[in-house]
Order: sequence, then structure tokens, then C-alpha cells
Amino acid sequence: MNNEAQTEEIPDSTRDLDIEHDRKLMIEDLDLWYGDKQALYGVSLPIAKNSVTALIGPSGCGKSTLLRMMNRMNDLIPICHYDGKITMDDVEITGKDADLVEIRKKVGMVFQRPNPFPKSIYDNVGYGVKLHFKPTREELDKIVEKSLKRAAIWKEVSDRQHELGTALSGGQQQRLCIARTIAIEPDVILMDEPCSALDPIATAAIEELILELKKDFTVVIVTHSMSQAARVSDYTGFMYLGRLVEFDKTDKIFSDPDNELTKRYITGRFG
Amino acid sequence: MKDIDLLQKKNRKLRDFAETMGSSGLAFTGLIGLFFLSILVWQIAAPTFIDGENGEIPPANEFITESDYELEWDYPNIDSSGELTTDPIVLEISWDDGDEVHELQINVISQRDVYEDIYLNESGLSTEIVEVGRKTKFHIYSTLPQSVEVKQKSGPVPSADETGKPLVSTFVIEYDVAVLYDEGIVFEPLEILGYGTLIFLVVTFRFPKPSMLRFIQKFTGKERQLKGLFYALALVTIIAGNYSLASILAALCWILSATMSTSLTKGIERLLHSGRELSETSRLKHSISNRDGLLMWSNMLLVISTLFIPLEIYIPFLTERYQDIFSPYSSGIRAAFYGTIWVMLIAMISAIPISVGAAIYLEEYANPTKTTKLIQALVTNLAGVPSIVFGMFGLAIFVKQGGIGWGLGPSILAAGLTMGVMAMPIIVLASQEALRSVPRSIRESAYGVGCTQWQVTKDHVLPSAMPGIMTGSILAMSRIMGEAAPLVVVGATAMIVFDPEPLAGLVGGNVNFTVIPIQIYFWTSEPDPAWHSMAAAASISLIALLVAMNSIAIVLRQHFRRRLN
Ligand SMILES: Nc1ncnc2c1ncn2[C@@H]1O[C@H](COP(=O)(O)OP(=O)(O)O)[C@@H](O)[C@H]1O
Ligand SMILES: [Mg+2]
Repeated sequence: MNNEAQTEEIPDSTRDLDIEHDRKLMIEDLDLWYGDKQALYGVSLPIAKNSVTALIGPSGCGKSTLLRMMNRMNDLIPICHYDGKITMDDVEITGKDADLVEIRKKVGMVFQRPNPFPKSIYDNVGYGVKLHFKPTREELDKIVEKSLKRAAIWKEVSDRQHELGTALSGGQQQRLCIARTIAIEPDVILMDEPCSALDPIATAAIEELILELKKDFTVVIVTHSMSQAARVSDYTGFMYLGRLVEFDKTDKIFSDPDNELTKRYITGRFG
Repeated sequence: MKDIDLLQKKNRKLRDFAETMGSSGLAFTGLIGLFFLSILVWQIAAPTFIDGENGEIPPANEFITESDYELEWDYPNIDSSGELTTDPIVLEISWDDGDEVHELQINVISQRDVYEDIYLNESGLSTEIVEVGRKTKFHIYSTLPQSVEVKQKSGPVPSADETGKPLVSTFVIEYDVAVLYDEGIVFEPLEILGYGTLIFLVVTFRFPKPSMLRFIQKFTGKERQLKGLFYALALVTIIAGNYSLASILAALCWILSATMSTSLTKGIERLLHSGRELSETSRLKHSISNRDGLLMWSNMLLVISTLFIPLEIYIPFLTERYQDIFSPYSSGIRAAFYGTIWVMLIAMISAIPISVGAAIYLEEYANPTKTTKLIQALVTNLAGVPSIVFGMFGLAIFVKQGGIGWGLGPSILAAGLTMGVMAMPIIVLASQEALRSVPRSIRESAYGVGCTQWQVTKDHVLPSAMPGIMTGSILAMSRIMGEAAPLVVVGATAMIVFDPEPLAGLVGGNVNFTVIPIQIYFWTSEPDPAWHSMAAAASISLIALLVAMNSIAIVLRQHFRRRLN
């Protein structure tokens, strides 16, 4: 009941969703339930092309849920159902007949805990490519090398590509997962707290990489670190109890947020 | 402070004492166990494997002569009340060597499917009166080295079967040197070379030394020719070895060596290419692609070869001698050994794919509806059903003809399928457990790169669950290997003096078979204690087989688990 009272106070600040960049993804009025428990309430959010959009908010507020909607990962959870519309390049991806394989090919995902396949480094990167594009051995070699280079891990693994991916350090594993994702040339890369299991040095490497990646890809990142959001993102959305409280350019959110809740959250006076 | 010090000192003393007592006690009991085990083995092995009771054991191939006669009478000498109405059938059996004439009286009785086996040796017939069913097979086995003449003295002449044998009242059991096991040559030089090459390459793979690598490096650029040479050698080995088991294994060694040498030279090339030295051997394994589990298959092959060496190097008890009803100590379990191997193979081939498929369906695909819940409950309960019940099931479905019966008869095929059915619930449950324990993250990452459900299952979930599935399968197999009860029901026989024919149930032929547990069971129920020691020897063989199977499982499991780190 307490929650109800609190959510009443949250003003609907998603009225102004204009962004300067082209829109890559558009989420419109998304409600989502796990069983009978509602996890998202009428979320609308544009994702700008070739930029980094960060989602912040206290844990349990639905950031991961929203992110996992963008490549329909939630479809794997049987009790999850939703109502609303997501479009990518003005094509709806939430319909019943949407091709999930095609969506996940276009919208790659990097998870919170690094989860490389228990295969060699080469196969980790090559697997998805083989699956979708059936390249020859030489083409595959080239793609793997290029992806590892783009994920800034080539120097460390170039002479041990046939070693297990799971034998790498945590930060390397996460970059390997990024290499695996970009190898199939997606349009969008979703990252769910990609640095939360990493040490500061590995985190810095990943952040640098994200800034590099946005030249070619659209990046959406969930993070619990506000400084990280401030460092890497162009747009930031603040979520609270399943609602998108405020969405704006990152500079604006961190310097002069419209909403009182946002202000309290980013200044750490929260709860 | 001082008290604490004292306490600590006391504590440490106690701990040290417990430590030494514990470990020495363990070692001591272990030694005692080993001692008794070796006494046991000696007690059993000395008479059976080494001396034999009289110090001489003729191998099977020197004395087995076998003839199979199907005699058929149409109620010739009994009336409906079972009284004899005509003269009994009497056969006169004689052979050159002795001047004695033996008479065998055969009473045909109205019950169906009764039969007796007659054994001939120097001391005469194993029995003088036999009762047989009116339409049945009637075996005469001879252990004599010369021809035996059989004449019918009285009674009605049996009618002929369609092969025309035997209508005549006189027939002769020929002395036939049926050589049952004549793979005289143990290892051809080429075979040894094949094994040697593979061992060399495996050792180089595992523990690379610069000198070995320099040797292999010489072949860089000549991989094609080397491969061709190895394939040719494989062919020659197989032909020269006359398609024997050893030669086939050796040919496989050559083929694996071909792939392995290519992979090694490529790896060395890659190593040098990335600006490293040959002496940095620890780097080598990073540059070798081991994607097809090359090393695993090589190890497997070597392990299997090692396991099969006993087959090649002549353990008469296991692979040479049949049962000899007259002298326990010159008996062996050849028939039972092959019977067991065939039953296991058929059980494995029939049970594992189906069970793993069922587990995948239940775990990955099926929605939890009432039906799947019911199936799940049934499977779970089946795993606890007593084995004899599976025997009855096998009897009804596989053995009997008509109705739901497949009519395979009491054959190896029926036994293997019965055992397979028995293993199925165990394998399904173990596989389900293994599939369930595959971490979510693996599935998520696979779906994340755009896999379909089938691709996720076959490329990621199944490989990760493999160690568990293997363990479950091998455990199930080990369990059914030791089972006698269901096979008693299915119809394994105790006295078999020929190699079992695995497909006899389907294509016709002699369906009779036996397996090691049944052999043990029948031998222990013989009154002569000599048979008991034979039973113990057979038990040791069974245990050895189990250990062999489990070691294969361990090799496989280690391999798959290493990949999952
Ligand atoms: N698989 C699931 N089943 C049921 N409830 C879930 C599931 N995943 C998340 N939730 C619920 O949805 C809400 C939002 O979760 P999540 O999106 O993971 O939050 P965040 O990532 O912001 O910490 C939480 O209350 C959580 O308990
Ligand atoms: Mg989360």
C-alpha cells in the first residue's frame, strides 16, 4: 500500500520525448507483468541512433526488464506478458509474428555476468556468424579477427584463440562477449550492468570501448553507477518502481533535472 | 595468555595424534583389504587361470564338435494317458576307439518344448534315458576326437523335417575340427607402429618437448603427403591384419594420427608465426586447434585398445573356452562373455538415444501440462520397478509371438531390448537432471546471438549436459550388466557351447544365449565346489568388465567437463 501511495506522487514526465538524433528504437506505452505482478507501467522511451542511452534507477525498478524487452528476451520467461508497442526503424518488433531470431540478430545483448560459451575464443566469436551467415573458413577467420580487434581484446588473445573462452579473466570475458555480439553486426547493443562484476581497470576498458562502439552501433546500457552513466551516455532515463520518471540528455539530467525524485536519486539522498 | 598457549599446545598434540592414527589406520585397513583380495584372487586364479586341476587344460578349439539334429515324432509311442504303447526309441551309439556300445533310450512325451542335451566323452554318455517333447530340438554334443556312429535299434522312425534330416535311422556325428577361434597372430608389426605413432603424437600434444617439436616441424608443408601416407598405412594395416579387431583399432590409430599430425604442424606454424620460439612449449597448446576433441578421441582409442588387448593376448577363460560339463576347471565363459557384450551393446543402442531424446523433450520442449506431468510421474516410478517385472514385460513384448509380442524368441535381441527398456527410466532421469543443471546464462547467451530453440539445445545445452548424461547412461548400463533376474524370465540358458548370434531372433538361427550373471547363478547352484570357484572367477571377470566400462565413462566425462572448466 505504501508503494501505491508513493507511485501516486510520481508525475508523468515522459511527455517530452524529443531527441536530436534519429530514432532507432521507439518504445510506446509498455506495460509488463510477471504473473499478476506488474513490473512496468506505461513506459515510453525513444532510443537515439548511434548514441549511448543509459537507464538508471534503484534496483528492482525494472531497468533489466525494459532492456530485455528490446530484444524480446522476456519471451523466454513463461509467466511474463506485456502490452504495448516497440518499433525498430518504424517496424514493429513486438507483434506475435515477429521473427525473434532476426530481432536478436539485429539487437545484440551483453549480460551482467560475463557468460562466454564453454568453447574456444575463436568459436565464441565465430559461432553466431556461422549460424547466420555460413562463411568460409577464411572469411570467418577475418571476421573473428576484426571483431576481437573492435572489442579491444585482440592483443591479449591473438595467439591463443583456440583456448577456452571461459579461462579468461572477468574483464576479458566481458570484452569477448562484446566481440561475440558485434561479430554478427547488430544495429543495437544492449548492455545490462556490464561492469558490475568487474574491477575498476576492466571497467575503464569497457567504458572506453562503449564510447568507441557508438560510432557504429546504437548502445543502450543499464547501470547502477551514476558516474558511469554520466561518463558514457548521451541520453539518460531514470526509472523508479516500474515507471520512467524522467528522460533527457545526460547533461541535463545530471545538472538540472526537472523531477524532484531524480534530483534526490542522483544526489544520493534517496530512500 | 599462558593458559591459552597450553591449550593450544595440547590441541596441536591431539590433532597430530588423530592425524597419524587416522592415516596409518586407513593405510593399514587398506593393506588388509588388499591382502585378502589378493588371497581371494590367488585362490581363484591359481586353479582356473594358471594350473587347472590336473595341470592341463585343452583349449576349446581342440575338442568341440557339435551336431544338431531335429527329430520329430508324431506321438509315436504314447497314448493320451501318457502310457507307452510301442517300443521306446533306442539309439545305439558307438565309436571306433572303445569296444563298448552305449544305448540311449528316448521317450517322447506329450508335453511341448522339453529337451535334453546329450554329451559324449570317453567315459560314455551323460545320461542313458532322455525324455523329449514330440517336436523339439535334440542336441548331441561330442567331446570325442573321432567320429561317432548312431543307429536306431527300435521304435518308430522319426519323420523328416524339410531339410530332410534325419529320416534315416542311422546317422553319424562327424569329427569336425571347427576352429572357433584362430586369430593366432596377436599384433602385427604395422599395428604396433600405428599404436606407437598415435601414442607419440598424444604425448607430444600433452607434454610438448622442443626436440619432439623440431622433429614434427620437419613435416611442415608436407602435411598432404603425410596424411596420404597415414591413410594408406591404415588401409594396409587393416588388410594385413585380416580385418581383426586389433587391426581395425590400429587403422583408426593411423587415421587419428593423420589428423593429429596436421593439427600439430599447423599449431607449430602458428606459434612461430606469432613470433614465438619452439622452446615456449607452454604456448603451443594455445595455438593448436582442438575443436573436434582430437585429443579426447585419441585417448579414447588408446584406452579402448588397452582394454581389448586381453582379448587379443589370450585369456582362455574369457575368450577361448566354453563350458565343459565334465571338468569345471577346463570350462570358460566365452559364450557368456560374448552374450554379455552383445546384450549390453543392443541395450545401449536402443536405450540411450531414445532416453536422451525423451529427457530433452520433457525438459526443454514440453509445456507442463497434465499429460507431461503424468509421463514424468510414470518415468520416475518406473525407475524403481523391480527388475523381474521388466523381465516379464520383455517376455510379453519381445519374446512371445502373437498379440503385442514381436516374436523374437528367447534371443539376444529380446534380452538386449528388455535390458534397454530397464535402463531407460534411469537414463531419462539422469539426463533430465543434467539438462536442468545447465546454467541459465548459457541459454541466455545463446538466445542472445539469435539461436533458435533447437540450436540452443543441440549446440549449448546438450554439450553442457553431456557429462551428466554420460554418467547416468554408464551407471544404468553398469546396473543392467549385473542383472540376472529379467534374463532368466526372458529365457537365457545355462549351458551354451557356441558363440551367440546377436541377430538370431530376427533372421533366424540359434537363438540360445547366456550372460555372465546367469552363468554365475547356475554355477553356484551346482553341487561340485569346483564350480563355485569357477563362479567366483566369472564374478571377477564381470567386475573387470564393469571397471573397464566405468573407465571409459571417466575419460569421456573428464573430457567434456574440462571444456566446461
Ligand atoms: N523472471 C522474473 N519473474 C518474476 N519477477 C521478476 C522476474 N524478473 C524480474 N522480476 C521482477 O520485476 C521487477 C523488476 O526487475 P528488474 O527488471 O530485474 O529490475 P532492475 O534490473 O532494475 O534491478 C522486480 O520487482 C523483480 O522482482
Ligand atoms: Mg537488473
